Amino acid sequence: MTEPKPTTEPSWFEKPRNIHWMIGGLVVACLALVLADLFYENPHPHFPKWENVIGFQAWFGFIAFVVIVFLGRLLRVIVRRPEDYYDR
Amino acid sequence: MIDNIPPGLIMILGALVLPFLAHRAQAIGVLVLSLISMVVFWFTPETTLGQFELLGMTLEAIRIDRLSRLFGIVFHIAAIVSAIYALHVRDTRQHVAGIVYAGAAIGACCAGDLLTLFVYWELTALASVFLVWASDNERAYKAGMRYLIIQVTSGVLLLSGAIMRFVETGSLAFGSFVVEGEPLSASAFLILFAFGIKCAFPLLHNWLQDSYPQATVTGTVFLSAFTTKLAVYSLIRGFAGYEPLIWIGCAMTLFPIVFAVIENDLRRVLAYSLNNQLGFMVVGIGIGTELAINGTVAHAFCHIIYKSLLFMSMGAVLFRVGTIKATELGGLHKSMPWTTFFCIIGAGAISGFPLLSGFISKSMIISAAAETHQFWVWFILLIASAGVMEHSGIKIPFFAFFAHDSGKRVKEAPANMLVAMAIAAFFCVALGVAYPVLYRMLPHPEIDYHPYTVTHVVTQLQLLMFAALAFVFLMKSGLYPAEQRATNLDTDWVYRRALPRFVSALKTVGGAVDQAIRNDGRTILKGCISSANQTFNDRGVLGRTWTTSTMTFWATILLAICLVLYYL
Repeated sequence: MTEPKPTTEPSWFEKPRNIHWMIGGLVVACLALVLADLFYENPHPHFPKWENVIGFQAWFGFIAFVVIVFLGRLLRVIVRRPEDYYDR
Repeated sequence: MIDNIPPGLIMILGALVLPFLAHRAQAIGVLVLSLISMVVFWFTPETTLGQFELLGMTLEAIRIDRLSRLFGIVFHIAAIVSAIYALHVRDTRQHVAGIVYAGAAIGACCAGDLLTLFVYWELTALASVFLVWASDNERAYKAGMRYLIIQVTSGVLLLSGAIMRFVETGSLAFGSFVVEGEPLSASAFLILFAFGIKCAFPLLHNWLQDSYPQATVTGTVFLSAFTTKLAVYSLIRGFAGYEPLIWIGCAMTLFPIVFAVIENDLRRVLAYSLNNQLGFMVVGIGIGTELAINGTVAHAFCHIIYKSLLFMSMGAVLFRVGTIKATELGGLHKSMPWTTFFCIIGAGAISGFPLLSGFISKSMIISAAAETHQFWVWFILLIASAGVMEHSGIKIPFFAFFAHDSGKRVKEAPANMLVAMAIAAFFCVALGVAYPVLYRMLPHPEIDYHPYTVTHVVTQLQLLMFAALAFVFLMKSGLYPAEQRATNLDTDWVYRRALPRFVSALKTVGGAVDQAIRNDGRTILKGCISSANQTFNDRGVLGRTWTTSTMTFWATILLAICLVLYYL
């Protein structure tokens, strides 16, 4: 195996244009997934009140993710200590 | 003949030969022994063996049924993959520890009675700690010590529970401890506690995050596969359908994800993620229906493989870069493209993307919760699924391989590591696609479950893709918490900081009290001595010299009193 040359050249994943494409693709996929809800029927929902809402798991996933990250920020305030905390 | 060999024994006894081999041959020896053991185990029929009487107890050393068989198989797969991953290691300790550990775990999941289980249980603890100590630094030594103490405590609790159980029932058989409509007996409770420690129940969990990231690059891969899943196996065997486990499991799925968000050490993030995945399994055990148990076993099976894969990819990064802190990594996809690729497959599998292994096992547990109409459990498991996407699906691959370019240019991982990762990645895809093969081997094969319904696929993709969208949104808006070098407190703070402080404070107070008592005593003693001195020295009342006339006077008085007393 040869040593890769040190390079500062941005890779495919780092070019701003490609990042825009990727994010655009994600948004399109998300929209398609919500729209997909219109084209099938859940054969036996266990919690119809929730599961039959259009795009339930979509907004649920979004909100849960954001809440988790914010809880993390909150937790950091409480539990954060210097890196060598236990070594002192 | 072949079915008389106790499972795991080939590996444990084989380990005794390893130290006499050349360094190079040891690694190959581990692999060959694991492969032989796998073949033998595969052809061992379902059976119970090794029944014998010991001090009036009937022991059943080996029991192989559908449940223990499946765990035995996946433990063998994990051992083989870990052995390939460790082929480049030239360290006798690690090879011996690794294979004894794997062998003991395999033996434990085929133990028919509590005493045999205990022996293997402690052997896993003793063998595995060397994988932590092999890092050869002060931190790893201390973390290993804490790990060993906690693991051995778990074993001692198990033994105590087993003895109490024998006194109560006259049997040491390892079956279900749950009796419908009755609370757990004291012995069962002790045993549950022992299992709970190994399964990293909330508040008992922190040995995991403490020790695993301190182990060697290859050691952590071994560690991630066996100890906690042995506990899951034991819980399935002993406590399936014990309802409090549902809520314990829910707590286990939730709190680690919040810790994982802010953790900088990526192997520690994986340790938190391991905790969260165990939570899913514990919920499944608590629900206890046939579907839930199937889901739990399937999830344990898939989990062992994708979690090894994730630990292997992070191990490869640590091996090449020398650090696993998110703050110092990034941009590695350029120099480690294969590791990046395999890591993403592992991340997809743990998040539960369709066509990968996590999807076909996790959805079974979630469906089991829904089918028993436990709304909150279902709700919490959905949150936890979004959480998995956060810490393992996105954070691990993103911060290690993408994010901002750290400028680090390293070699791709060694070939043996890549092969091990490729095998694990293959299993992740294969299990996700050819899931009926796994389903047929589950404890309740008659349960008909189809993961790939339109509803399942679409809703799961909605959850995951929108979680990814949330990540993009938070990154773009700068709301995502930046990685920071820090130690985050967890329950280990209690015994690493609070208890020692408390003890040293107790020592200080005790010392002060002790000093005060000594001082007072000394003052009193001094007072006595000085008053004695004053009384008896040559000017004191009793010590001074008297004149002859005074002496004569007092002697006469004394004689007079004697005379009077004599005549009375």
